[in-house]
Formats: sequence, structure tokens, C-alpha cells
Amino acid sequence: MVYGMSKNNQKNNFLNTVTEMPKAIWDSVFRNNLPHTDLGRSKTSFTNFFLHMHPVKVHKHTLKPWFTMGLGLMSLFLFMILSVTGVLLMFYYVPSTTQAYDRMLDLRGSVAFGVFLRNMHRWSAHGMVAAVFLHMCRVFFTGSYKKPREFNWVLGVGLFLLTLFSSFTGYLLPWDQLAFWAITVGTAIAGYAPVVGEQMRFLLLGDTAVGQEALLRFYVLHVAVLPLVMTGMVAIHFWRIRKDGGLSRPDDADIVITPMPAVAANVMPATIEQPQLNFLSKARYGIQGLVRGPFTKVGNVPDNTVFSYPNLLLAELFVFVLTVAGVVLVSAYFNAPLEEPVNVLHPPNPAKAPWYFLGLQEQVSYSAFWGGVGIPAIEVIILMLVPYIDRGKKGVGKWFAKERLLANTLFLIFVVVNILLIIIGTFFRGQNWEFVSPF
Amino acid sequence: MSDKHNAQEVESGEPVSRRKVLAWLTSMGLFGSAIVSIVSNLVFIKPRATYGKPTRFAIGTPEQFPPGTRIALGDQKVAVIREGDKMAAISVVCTHLGCIVGVADTGFACPCHGSRFDQDGNVTGGPAPKPLPWYELSLAPNGELEVDKGKEIESGKWFTV
Repeated sequence: MVYGMSKNNQKNNFLNTVTEMPKAIWDSVFRNNLPHTDLGRSKTSFTNFFLHMHPVKVHKHTLKPWFTMGLGLMSLFLFMILSVTGVLLMFYYVPSTTQAYDRMLDLRGSVAFGVFLRNMHRWSAHGMVAAVFLHMCRVFFTGSYKKPREFNWVLGVGLFLLTLFSSFTGYLLPWDQLAFWAITVGTAIAGYAPVVGEQMRFLLLGDTAVGQEALLRFYVLHVAVLPLVMTGMVAIHFWRIRKDGGLSRPDDADIVITPMPAVAANVMPATIEQPQLNFLSKARYGIQGLVRGPFTKVGNVPDNTVFSYPNLLLAELFVFVLTVAGVVLVSAYFNAPLEEPVNVLHPPNPAKAPWYFLGLQEQVSYSAFWGGVGIPAIEVIILMLVPYIDRGKKGVGKWFAKERLLANTLFLIFVVVNILLIIIGTFFRGQNWEFVSPF
Repeated sequence: MSDKHNAQEVESGEPVSRRKVLAWLTSMGLFGSAIVSIVSNLVFIKPRATYGKPTRFAIGTPEQFPPGTRIALGDQKVAVIREGDKMAAISVVCTHLGCIVGVADTGFACPCHGSRFDQDGNVTGGPAPKPLPWYELSLAPNGELEVDKGKEIESGKWFTV
């Protein structure tokens, strides 16, 4: 009978169907209105695809701007800018040795916003290398790689290497002098790797020297393979943050500042009883309580969290706006360099790689094997093993904790030495890679 | 299948269930296919033919290179050198990381990482691990000199015209 009535109603209110259609469509897309209650905030986080990767509640310590400095997010946003500008540039690019350079000139001459897009792509790439590296420094100096976050650190080191490789493959695409010689040198370094080196170089170039095959291969790696691999790894990296208990924080971050009621009143309407658990017989689970893991809050657990919506979202928005604004500003004032077209007979003198590879170039100017393969390989292996070597539990979630003086000092030396090498390579090397004074 | 079953039974002394054997075979099958697909992908991306230049090429008659000549033939990445009636073809690809070295009367110098070589291509400074290779030079029946980059020869083994 009820069924029949409702059918009747629909029939009689065809007009209603039409007038309510916009709202019905809107409601079917967005399950919740803008929330004004804590229950609404929970539901919004839970039911929105783009928000569900956030926890419903986030620890106050996580939101301290100077703890993370937003560097991980900044890397993500730069990656997104790179994806968007990269896809746009693909509309006008041809990976051919006879056309690539002309297409670069077309960006200047006949493509609307061509120069600006290329600037954004180039400067975001530089920014991303820097942001990812600084993010790694932040994680190290705050001791955040310690248990249970060891594997996420390993993934992070992998993502840093992929970032460098993406940047490296992108460098060949304009087919200018810098491109050609940076890749000639870079792939020659790969050839020094023991046993598989020469094979690896041949697979990478598709030929014995840098040419059309190499350009096509680098293009495919740059626009398809690496972005896909990186997207997958970023997803796992983010998922692990949640599953490893959110961002690291010091032990004393959980001290109760304002005592919470056993069950927050405003969560009540969505609670369900769990009668089987005697020791929690009075507990009621909020929406977030249904999820197992470190964020499950049942009643009287010390709680120093705030709702992600809007606290975390606003912080993210702030980093996003800052990142985009920075890239746009730099791209408006500085043009990405484009050197002369490739001349396979005359390397520019000095032939310098982009700044973040100049430390490596300085190293290979002493020994190709040790500088280009041996030392970097050792560095990467040690970096990846860091969380399994340094197993002390103290000093997590604090910048430069006293308990971590040794680890932090060693890492600082590693960072400073690499920065010094980059500075030497950038400013103190002139023609024929001879030592010159910039002053 | 039943043979395998019996064999394992004898070895461990305990009966192996049909389920275990099937699970083992399935895992091996999946693992094997994964290996095969990885290997075939590697085979796929390794080119079977390349479009490089021929390694043997003519460079002209000896008269075109008067005594005292030291010039680089750009397309072939080879320097042709003549002292008196002795001639040599020396690679101009740096043995360090593949940049093209500059040819001067005093030797060769690489702009990329500062490797330096003497007039015969021996390393005199910088990171280069090996001397510049010499290539076989010969006189073809038509009177032209021929360089074979496929054949490296000892440094200092001059070709007399």
C-alpha cells in the first residue's frame, strides 16, 4: 500500500520531479552538504572520493607549519603541475631529431602561452627535485623514518630517484646542445656499471650513440612509463602514511590538554553498539571508529585531534596556492633556457648538466666509475637501509632531537658535501672543466 | 601427478595433500609466467637492428692529407693524422664519458670533464681511464684510404703511405 502511494505521488507530481531535478542531481553527486557539525565533517571526509584519502581527524601536531613545512605536499603539487603542463606541451611536441628543436621554437613563436607553459614545466621540474630532496631532509632530521615508517622511507628514496630520472629523461626532449651532451654523458655513466652497464646503456639508447632511437625511448619513458610508476608509488606512499599512524609526532604530543567526554555528544547519532566487547561495553563507535588502525578512537583515549575538514584541507590549500603562485611568478619572469640545436661534433665548453646533476658531474671528473656509479650506488643503498640501521626509538617527531645527534650529524655531512659539490660544479668550473674563481 | 604425490610422501614421511600439490604447481606456473613475461619484455626493447653508420668508410686519397695534417672528420668521429709518410686514424670520442675531444697540434682536450691526451692519444691528465683508440687504416684498390672503426689497433702502429 505504501508502495502504491509513493507511485501515485510521483505520478501526480511530475512538476515536482522537474523542479527538484537540479537538487536531486546535485545530491547524487555530493552526498553531503557543506558540513556544520562534527558528524557532517566526518561524513564529508568519508563519503567524498577526493577527501577519503585523508583521515577524518588529524593530530594537532601534524598541522604545525614548521614541523613539515609542507614539503611533501609541495612535491605532490609540483608533480600535478608537471603532469598538466606536460600533457599540454605534448600537443605540440614531436619526438623526432629533425622536428623536436623546431617545435621548441614554435612554442616561442606560434603557440599561445607556449613559452609560459614550457617555463612552468621546466621550473616545476627543478622545484620538484629540490622539494623532494628537502622533504627527505625534513623526514630525516625529525627522525620520522623510524618504526613503523621504515618502508615508507624506502619508498620515498625510490620516489626521489624516479624524480631525478624523470628530470633526466625530460632533458633530452628539446634536442638542443645541453640535451644532447647531458644525455651523452649521463648514459656513458650508466655504461660504467659493472656487468650490465653496457647492456643497460644499449637498452636505454636503443643504439650505440644518442640519436633518434634514444629520443623516442626517452620520450616514452618521460611521458608514460615514469609518470605511471610514480603515480602508483605516490599512492602507496600516501596510503602508508595513514596506515603507519599518520605523520610522526613526539611521545608527549598525546598528553590530554582538554579532557574529552567519554563519547563526543555530536557523534552520537551515527554510533552503533558493540555489545560483544564487555570491557568496552559503554563504548560507542563513531564513524571513524569503524576503521581499524591507529586512528580508531574509542571514548576515553587521549585525543589531541581536530577534524581534517576543514583544518587539514585549509593547510593543504595554503601550500597549494603558495606552490602554484611560486611557479607562476618564476615562470613569468625567467625563461627556460634553450641552447643551440644539437651539434654532435662540438660539445659546448664547458658542457654542464642541470644544477642538480652538477655534483655528480664534479664527482665523475675525478673518476667515472667511482664518481658516477660506485659512490652514488653506495649512497642510495645506505639511504634505503637507514631505518634498518638506526633503530633507536628516541627523538621521533622532533627537529634535531638531542638523542639523534649522531645520525643527524652524519646526514648533515652527507647533505653539505653534496651541496658543496654542486656549488663547485656550478660556479668553480670553467672551460675544459678547469678550476676557475667566480669572483 | 600421482608419481609426484608418492615421491613427496616418501621423502617427508607425511602424506602431501592434493590441495598442496595443486597450490605448489599453480604458484610455480604464475611465478614462471611472470619471469617469462619480464624476459620477453627485455628481449622486446632490445633492438635487433640499429641504424648506425657503417664502421668501414673511405676518407679520400693520401694526397688530400699533406704531412703535418691533424684534422677531425666530424661525421666519422675520427681524427686523421699524418707525420711525414706515416698516417693514423685516432678516435675523437673521449674514453671518459663520450664527449668529442678537440684536436690541436699539442694533442687532444675534452671540454666536458677536462681529460687531456698527447699527440698520440695517450692520457696526460684528467679522468679518462684509457687512451684514445687507434683504428685500422688501409689503402683501398682505388687509391683511397679506408678506416675500419670495427678494428682497433695498438697505439703507435702507424700506417706508412
